[in-house]
Amino acid sequence: MKKIFAIALGILAAIGGFVDIGDIVFNTAAGATFGYELLWAVVVGVGGIVTYAEMCGRVAAVSERAVFDAVRERLGFQVGLVALISAQFVNLMTIAAEVGGVAIVLQLLSGLPYRALLVLGVLALALALWLMPFGWIERVFGYTGLALLVFAVAAIKLHPDWAQVARGFVPKAEAENLAVYGYYVVGLIGAAMVPYEVYFYSSGAVEERWRPQDLGVNRANALVGYTFGGILSFALMISAGALLLPEGINPEHLGSVALVAEAPLGQIGLILALVGMLFAISGAAIDSVFAGAYNLGQFFGWEWGKYRHNSGAPRFTLAWAVMLLLGFLIVVTGVDPILVTEFSVIFSVVALPLTYVPILLVANDRAYMGRYGNGRVGNVFGVFYLVVLLVVAVAAIPLLIASNMGQG
Amino acid sequence: MNQIDLGLGILDHQLVDSEGHHCGKVDDLELEGIRDGSPRVAAILTGAPAWRGRGSLGRLAAALARGRTVRIPWEEVKDVHAEVELRRSAAELRLSREERARRIVERIPGASL
Repeated sequence: MKKIFAIALGILAAIGGFVDIGDIVFNTAAGATFGYELLWAVVVGVGGIVTYAEMCGRVAAVSERAVFDAVRERLGFQVGLVALISAQFVNLMTIAAEVGGVAIVLQLLSGLPYRALLVLGVLALALALWLMPFGWIERVFGYTGLALLVFAVAAIKLHPDWAQVARGFVPKAEAENLAVYGYYVVGLIGAAMVPYEVYFYSSGAVEERWRPQDLGVNRANALVGYTFGGILSFALMISAGALLLPEGINPEHLGSVALVAEAPLGQIGLILALVGMLFAISGAAIDSVFAGAYNLGQFFGWEWGKYRHNSGAPRFTLAWAVMLLLGFLIVVTGVDPILVTEFSVIFSVVALPLTYVPILLVANDRAYMGRYGNGRVGNVFGVFYLVVLLVVAVAAIPLLIASNMGQG
Repeated sequence: MNQIDLGLGILDHQLVDSEGHHCGKVDDLELEGIRDGSPRVAAILTGAPAWRGRGSLGRLAAALARGRTVRIPWEEVKDVHAEVELRRSAAELRLSREERARRIVERIPGASL
């Protein structure tokens, strides 16, 4: 009973922790541009994160290795270093986007100046990172992020044409502007499979000392948690499609995203949407900051982890502090966080295969995994997503240019 | 110990000292007896300068990073599984204990949280 309860709580945290600024931006923009037509791309992305996270969690539980341990052991120093540098570049852009997003939402809530809120937001994040034990971070932001379920209510209240919604789950590309369509497909898959989530998830599994008997928890978190988290993405796209597309509004600002919940639900909808966004994006900021420090610690063999006290893993502590500071410095220049978000998602897609491949290799290696290696189902999905990732990685930058970042 | 693949089973693995502290990676291996046809691992090399043996990117990284190479004789290795377990503490083996970073972090209140 106690175990079921713990699993349920873990799933809830995974749902609330699923959405970050990349999902918010790409799902609402895709809904406002193409209505429900791109729901299938979210399904592909969610399937990808489930597959990838489940493998990473299993590798962590069975072989006690987090992602960048496996990357370095499998790819060696040179290729591993390239993977590390590209992952850190993407992480840094993600941190900048999330930190900027936190400040925007704070501004929508308070009306105070953006840069002051940026400083305040970063200080609050640093304090949370410094003081909170690992379990809290996952839980607190995961649960509060559940306020985003208000978008599911909004989606229903907006009375979308459900037959058309259903048709959105079938892939087809008959759009006028194929480059824009393709750009959003790549963005939606990338936003769902954003790599920091997986680095954080696998390192967390090592932090919590998962063992093979925890594989059930891993499967529940990855499969159920992320699948239901995907529902939040559907809700964002459906409600944006129902409200913003007919009005011809392009959500270039997070304010118009909150409007999607306010229109059908009034003041309470607006507040729940903003609070949900604040905690979901703050949680993502913290996860991505830690992900950057985890990667460095694992690649160079430092003491790492939140279960060690701050000075017990000093390089790790300094690494996350520097990552947060650099992210802050990027957005404090005044660059639009939404623009940074789009770049971070597109570049994460380009870098993804470098960390996906070693995990797929290790998950198949009986010397590491014993009888817990990938089974047939695991490999069908694993290889399918390898192909998806390679195609998407190659197409990402050309589509970014051809579609003028989705502007057509 | 069972049969180990040096390339995949030891190189680039985590070093853990007798107290359970992470203290670097197996950055390179020192082999001996290659000419007389009975090669064996003489020592583990760890630390930034040891990256010089890891290709051109390794040489570049070694030139940019600070640090020293520590040579750990193979006799100091207790066990090899996911991690390479050492018989003695990092301090005794003169491995990094991250002292410089620790001094900075310890100046901040709440460092032991």
